[in-house]
Parts: sequence; structure tokens; C-alpha cells
Amino acid sequence: MSPTVLIVDDHPTFRLTARLLLESEGYTVVGEAGDGAEAIRAARDLRPDLILLDVQLPDIDGFDVASRLMDSEDGAVVVLCSSRDGADFGPLIERSGARGFIPKAELSGERLRAITG
Amino acid sequence: MTSLKRALIAIGGVGFAAGMVAIALVLTANDSRDVTGFDLALGPIVGWAFIYAGLIAWWRRPDNRFGSLMTLVGFTWFLGAFGLSDAPGVFVFGLIFGAVPFAVLLHMLLAFPSGRLEGTAARRLVRFGYFAVLVMPAVWALFIQTEGNAECDGCPRNPLSITENDTVAGILFTVYAVVSIVVLIGVAVILVRRWRRAPAPERRLLGPLYLTGGATVVLTVLVITAEQAFGDTAAQVVNALSVVVLASVPFAFLYGLLRTRLAQSSAVTDIVAGSSADLRDTLAAALGDPSLELAYWLPERKTYVDREGRPIELPDEGPRAVTRIDHDGRCVAAIVHDPALNEQPGLVDAAGAAAALALENERLEAELRARVEELEASRARIVHVGLAERRRIERDLHDGAQQRLVALRLQLRLARDQAGKDPEMAQQMLDGAMTELDEALAELRELARGIHPAVLADRGLEPALSALAGRAPLPVDVKTAPTERLPAPVEAAAYFVVAEALTNVARYSQASRASVAVERRNGHAVVEVRDDGVGGADPSRGTGLMGLADRLAALDGRLEVDSPSGGGTVVRADIPCG
Repeated sequence: MSPTVLIVDDHPTFRLTARLLLESEGYTVVGEAGDGAEAIRAARDLRPDLILLDVQLPDIDGFDVASRLMDSEDGAVVVLCSSRDGADFGPLIERSGARGFIPKAELSGERLRAITG
Repeated sequence: MTSLKRALIAIGGVGFAAGMVAIALVLTANDSRDVTGFDLALGPIVGWAFIYAGLIAWWRRPDNRFGSLMTLVGFTWFLGAFGLSDAPGVFVFGLIFGAVPFAVLLHMLLAFPSGRLEGTAARRLVRFGYFAVLVMPAVWALFIQTEGNAECDGCPRNPLSITENDTVAGILFTVYAVVSIVVLIGVAVILVRRWRRAPAPERRLLGPLYLTGGATVVLTVLVITAEQAFGDTAAQVVNALSVVVLASVPFAFLYGLLRTRLAQSSAVTDIVAGSSADLRDTLAAALGDPSLELAYWLPERKTYVDREGRPIELPDEGPRAVTRIDHDGRCVAAIVHDPALNEQPGLVDAAGAAAALALENERLEAELRARVEELEASRARIVHVGLAERRRIERDLHDGAQQRLVALRLQLRLARDQAGKDPEMAQQMLDGAMTELDEALAELRELARGIHPAVLADRGLEPALSALAGRAPLPVDVKTAPTERLPAPVEAAAYFVVAEALTNVARYSQASRASVAVERRNGHAVVEVRDDGVGGADPSRGTGLMGLADRLAALDGRLEVDSPSGGGTVVRADIPCG
């Protein structure tokens, strides 16, 4: 069975492109969310295997969203992404409890699998 | 000659005539009347002294009732002389109204120096005093017959007498005496209280009048009681003494005036000599008002500041008075002081005039401090605005072009992966990629223009402003713009004033159109953006206009926003061209 994914990003263009890309590489995108609060709700309702989470969201910072998901959810693996370089964020990615980080321009199923195992 | 001066001279003439009438009455009194040379000599002097000192006070302060009250004391003083007439009607007139000058005198003392009666107690006492001297002698006259009366040697008939009743007349006289004493003591108490409360500069003015007036009040009480207590001779001595003291009241007033004049010139001397390094302290010492404060006028900002250059509000009314000081026809400062000093007209003005040059120097220092403070604040705001600007550019790049380029890369990869398997989808991806690329280019262009428009740098204000107007979402008429080049910072400042103003017009004004004019006038670039919208813009609220004001201040320029509610908005900038 293909792994299920929730895409969280405030840019609709990116969400659409990421959906097409991941679906073409064997993932099932079960939902999309445009901000942190919606992401937490969707994660609880949809129980995806994987959450692709943008760092910069209009309401709650992506790192905070990741921490909250870690506290309350069991099972979902969070992978952070951003159009910035991962090095820009220093230790924040590790501290958030997310499994890993992918620069948006390098997003692919293969990169995701490398992180999630 | 002013009409006031003419009127006062006329009153003076009438006063002289009234005195002569009184002298004539004294001289023609029948021999058995108790008239002494003392009465003849001092009587007219008392009346005239009050009239002429009163007229001087009236002339100095026409709006102050004190002068007219003093004049009235003089005139009413002569009424007593009618009591010496042998004609019964005239005699009784003098008998009834002989005490009126004392009521007016008390009124005058309590109304000093403002001319107004301050406090309920003072008003009641004065009203009561007038009632006592006008009504009680008239009632008393109904019960006394003067003709053949041992107490009133040689007096003519009292035509008002309805019955001769010594007991009633005696009781009425005693009541009258007691009422008079109560009123006099009340006045003395008020005078003592006022003296104790008065600050030093006011005491200088109050002193002579309160001393002689107060002594008159005390002696009058003694005159009323002396005859009963000490017999005729003592009463005559006290009476004579009281007239002498009364006669000194107007002279004491004139002396008080002289003393304030002297205080004024000594204040001026102190200021000119000004040993103290602190001008405020010098003025406070010279005027005898330790609470004195100075406020310096900044014409550019249309506001008063303290010595440190901090804005201060002048008191409108209430317990502090304000005297503005001019130098060379321009306001330089204001002295905030005890209102008591205003009772000595010209004192603060004279001190201020003497200190005007020093005040102008301190004003310049205060202006400089205010400028430094403003510069520091503006520098901090410029740094803040610069940071905010960088943050905005980073955010615009990240949210705009960068996102689109990320999407573009993913779309190109998808198209490449699908090219063999699903050419239609690959085609779709490439179309999407083209759109993203166009959007990214447009956003980058907009961003670059916001940082510094290339047309402005290459071609100057005129084409740059026309381009700006052309891109605005409402009709914008560029009325005038300099075709020649101005210094680059001036061009940039003018351009961004127009850009920010037009952004605000589009966002908030609900205007149907706007106009832009930039003119070169007397070495300045004068920018004006006008709209026909709802008005009510407040430059202190938005960071945009505030940032612009700082940017202009750095070039010594100024920004003004005129935006009455419902009346459109005019944004004006004035930038020196260096």
C-alpha cells in the first residue's frame, strides 16, 4: 500500500505541483492544509503516514507545528521543507522533532523515502 | 487726546468744584456749629487726594474698577459738608449720607488690587456696609429732632423727623454703631488674611495701602467707641488722628505705585547685571517669583519647548499667568509666572524686555537641543525603516519570485519525467512552468522598481513620475515635473513621496482622481500630491509617511499632510536642492 501524505504549505501552486509530483512517484496525497491550525486539524482527522510541512506558515511557525504534532500524534512522520536552504535554520530543524528537511526545489519521492526509510 | 483722558480731566474738574463747594459750606456754617480749622484744612485735602489718586489709578488701568472706587471715596467724602448747611433739606442730606465714603472706602480696600471683590465674605461685607450707611442713618433720622438738640449745637430743623423719641433713636444709634464695628472688624480680618497669603511680589504692592487702610479701619472702630469709653477729648484726638490716617491712604497708594516702578527698574538692573549663570534664576529673583518658568518659542515647529528642547504646553488659564516676550518683533519666549505680578502692569514685560537678548540666546540653544533630539529620533527611525525595508524585500523575494522558481523547477522535472510516458501531461507542466516564469519576472521587475526605479536613475523625474501615474489604479494627472535633472537624493526623495502618496490614495482615500506637481522654486523642489478623496489621513499613524518625513528631514526637507475629513488630501514636500 502506498504511503499517505498531508501537504502543508500556504502557496497553492506549490501544493498542486507537490501533489502531482508525489503522486507520480507512488504516494497518495490524502489532504492539503494552508496554515498551521488547519494542518493540526487535518493530521488528527486524516492520520497520514507522512506530513510534508512548510517552515513558514501565516499563523504558526512550521517548527512549532512540528513540535505540537510530535506531542500529540503517534505515527505521523514530519518532514519539513522550505524554499530556503536548510542551513539557514541552524539547529531549529533538529529541535522541532521533525524527521528531516528537504529544500522545496529538490522535493522528490526518492528524497522523501531516503529520510523516512 | 483720548476720550478716556478727556472724561478723567472733566471728572477732575468736577472734583475740584465739589471740594470748593465743601469749603464754602464749612466757611459759611453758623458760629455755633462745631467746626475747627482742622476740618477746614484737612477736609478738602482728604476728598481731593482720593479723587486725584483715584483718577491716576483709573488712567493707568481703565479696565480696573479700583481707580473709580477711589475717586468715588473722594466725591462722597464731600457729602458730609452738607451737614453744615443751615438749610434743613441740605442739612439732613449731609446728615444721612455723611458715612457713605466709609462704605466706599471698605469696598475699595477689599477690591484692591484687581478692582473686583474676591470671595463671598468680601462681597457680603461690602453689601452689608452699603446697607448700613444708606439705610440706618435714614431710619434713625425719623426719630430725632436736631433743632435745639444739645448734641447738635446750632443745627437746623430735621425735616424727616416724624417723632422725637430719644430711646428709639438711642437704640438705633447703638445698633448702627455695633453693625459698623462688626463690618469694620470683618474687613480687618480679611485684609490680615490676604496679607498673610500674599506672595512677596504682591506684598510690595499691597503693603502701603493695607497699612494705612487697615489703620483707618481700626481708628474708625475707635472713633465709634471712643466717645462712650474715653470721653470727648479722647474722641476728638482719635477722630483727628483717623482723618489724618485716612488722608494718607491715597498717598500710600501712590507710594505703592512708585515702589512697584522702583521694583521694576531694580528688576531690570538685576537682569542686565545678571550675575547668576541661570537666566531663569535671575528672572525669578528679580521678579520675586521663585515659581517662575521659561518657555522658548520654536517658530519652525510652532511650539514652545523647555531649556532642554522638550515640547511644553503653556497654561491657558488658571493659577499661572503667561507673558510673551518679543525681540526684534519676533516672539522669543514666554514667562510663566504668578498672576499676582500682573497687578504691577509692565513689570514682567520690562523684565522680559531686559532679558530679551539673553532669552533669544537661550532660545537658540533650546532650538539646537530640540533639533539634536529630533535628529536622534529620526536617525533611529531611519535605521528602523531601513531594517523594515530589508525585511520587506527579503519577504517579497521569498514569497514571490523564489516560490515561483521553486515551483518552476518542480514542474520542469515533472515534465521531463513524464515526457516519454505522458506527453500531454508534460505539455501541461511546461505551460504551467512558462506562466510561473512570467509571473516571477513581473514580480522581480516590480521589486527592483520599488528599490530604485531605473527610469528615475537614467532619465530623471519627469518620465519616472509619468510612468508611476500610468501604473496607478486611478487617473493621475502629472501637472508639472522638472525636465532638468536634480541631485539624485532629491529626485529619489521626490519620487518616493509621490509613490507613497499615490499608494495611500489608492488604498485609503476612495478618490476618483489625483494630481501630481513637482516644481523647482527658490532652490527647492516642491512636491504636491492632491486627491479628491475622503481625507482624514494622519501621517503620525502610518509608518510610510513617517519614514518619508525622516528621509526628507535627512535632506533638510519637510513633509506636510493636509487632510481635513471629507475634504481630500494634499501631501506636500519641500526639499532643498542643495
